[in-house]
Amino acid sequence: KTCQTAEFKTAEVEVQARHSSDNAAQTEADQHRTQLFDLERESHMHYPGLGDFLHSVEDTVVKELKKNAKSHAFEGFEVNWEDQNETVSCLHALQYSEAQERELQVTSLSWNTTGSVVACAYGRLDDGDWSTEKSFVCTWNLDRRGLNPKRPDLVIDVPTSVMCLSFHPSKPSLIAGGLYSGEVLVWDTSRTQDPLCARTAMSDETHREPVYQVHWVPGARRGDGFSVLSAGADGRILVWQLDSEGQLTLSDGFALVTQQIPRNVQLSKARGDCLLGVTALSLCPWDWDVFLVGVEGGLVLKCSFSTRTPAAVSSPSSGLALRAPAQFTFSSHAGPIHAIHCSPFHRNLFLSAGMDGHAHLRSLLQATPLLSLRLSDSYLFSVRWSPTRPLVFAASTGQGSLVIFDLGRGSLRPAATIEQDTGGKPVYCLEFNPKQPHLLAAGSADGTVKIWQLSAELIEQGQREAAQLEQLATEAMQ
Amino acid sequence: SSQSEVEETLKRIQSHKGVIGTIVVNAEGIPIRTTLDNSTTVQYAGLLHQLTMKARSTVRDIDPQNDLTFLRIRSKKHEIMVAPGKFALLLSLLFFVIYLLNPDI
Repeated sequence: KTCQTAEFKTAEVEVQARHSSDNAAQTEADQHRTQLFDLERESHMHYPGLGDFLHSVEDTVVKELKKNAKSHAFEGFEVNWEDQNETVSCLHALQYSEAQERELQVTSLSWNTTGSVVACAYGRLDDGDWSTEKSFVCTWNLDRRGLNPKRPDLVIDVPTSVMCLSFHPSKPSLIAGGLYSGEVLVWDTSRTQDPLCARTAMSDETHREPVYQVHWVPGARRGDGFSVLSAGADGRILVWQLDSEGQLTLSDGFALVTQQIPRNVQLSKARGDCLLGVTALSLCPWDWDVFLVGVEGGLVLKCSFSTRTPAAVSSPSSGLALRAPAQFTFSSHAGPIHAIHCSPFHRNLFLSAGMDGHAHLRSLLQATPLLSLRLSDSYLFSVRWSPTRPLVFAASTGQGSLVIFDLGRGSLRPAATIEQDTGGKPVYCLEFNPKQPHLLAAGSADGTVKIWQLSAELIEQGQREAAQLEQLATEAMQ
Repeated sequence: SSQSEVEETLKRIQSHKGVIGTIVVNAEGIPIRTTLDNSTTVQYAGLLHQLTMKARSTVRDIDPQNDLTFLRIRSKKHEIMVAPGKFALLLSLLFFVIYLLNPDI
């Protein structure tokens, strides 16, 4: 038997494009919109109907505003959009085998601007001697798959101990570091050949003693790039500019001389002309002219970039004249200060912490601290405000733990204490990740950097935190 | 004159307890009066214009006889209130007023 379908009709066709063209599209930055809106011009323009409209709408709006002022709706109503993390956990323990073998310590940490790379500097903080020991700067990219915590993505060899590190605020691959020998180096991690991109030449004008702080500061005029600021044990604070030949050229400099420290607070009787070594520094994000410096002896000074007073040091004949930046002295800690940090949420508040185990909450407006909190029986090496919660800060102790304190709790005990398991060795540095606020990196003397994931309550801002901080600041002022 | 009347009304509303800022926006989403700084104003005007149009079309899709009278957005830190204007036949007369309130007060 056979079967058959009705007749199919089929046809074959081919298609080809005869003409082709390339086209591209691009968006413009949104400044265009801002230019359309000119406040000055608008306030003089007359819109027919505007008056009538406002008249009609005013009653409704005022009624709603009054209702709002009396309403208790939504009070205590909190919404959670993210998964709540109840506990603090250690995500990674990063180590570099060669540094471990030589028992180098982690002296400084920095997150890059995108928050995906953490760099750490190795060296020694407990060594009194002039060290010629080679050391390293290592970086790990935490967002990379196949992250090996025992093998850094990049290892940079450095001739002496690195005391401080800082990533560039907008370029994700530039890092500046200050060395034990007084040199300041800038590396570009995107360069495969030789990451070293600029260095300071050894001259009369450079630091001759260890550089303890390095930061990127914005240029004097808008549109200027960032310059590198370095401060060291020789009492000098120098500002360097990167030039295209791989040199860091000195563009500005300051010196802290004992006799030029403002005497608004009782000072010890040190020799007038000796220079005060800098142990801590913080730039003020609210006023780029202000920076805070912690010096040997435990003093905290408020300094200004635009000072005109020349420093009482003999400057080299052809060199830059150094200036005296100190404008106000805060009362001292009992012992050297290891860390200062300005609050990202309040323009006058900052924290200082030092070897007396106390963290002081201070205001730029008065010499004595607003609050003095005893966080540890041993030294405090680092203190940082949380980037998301105005009332929270973290400190690292000499006993190997991290202390997280919440000023809103009204208690003298910390909100959380994280043991870094270093066998009693100090945790020297800690940094919050600027883009992923649940990550906190801490580096310790046993050569490990631990990345901690914080619990949700330590990260999410409560409803009234900024207002509470403001209240705290004003109430505590004398 | 009507110009000063406009200013008076805006000032009255702005001085109400808890109001941080006031913006008046035209139909195209361009702000024409404001008590905030330029960049904040432009950002709020642009974003809220879109949201208000979406809210209005949502109300009308559900019931074509209905229309949006008021829009309030409550966030952790603020409250934003948008009062749309007379939906006149000439769309160029469409105004919105936006207020930012601090709910702590």
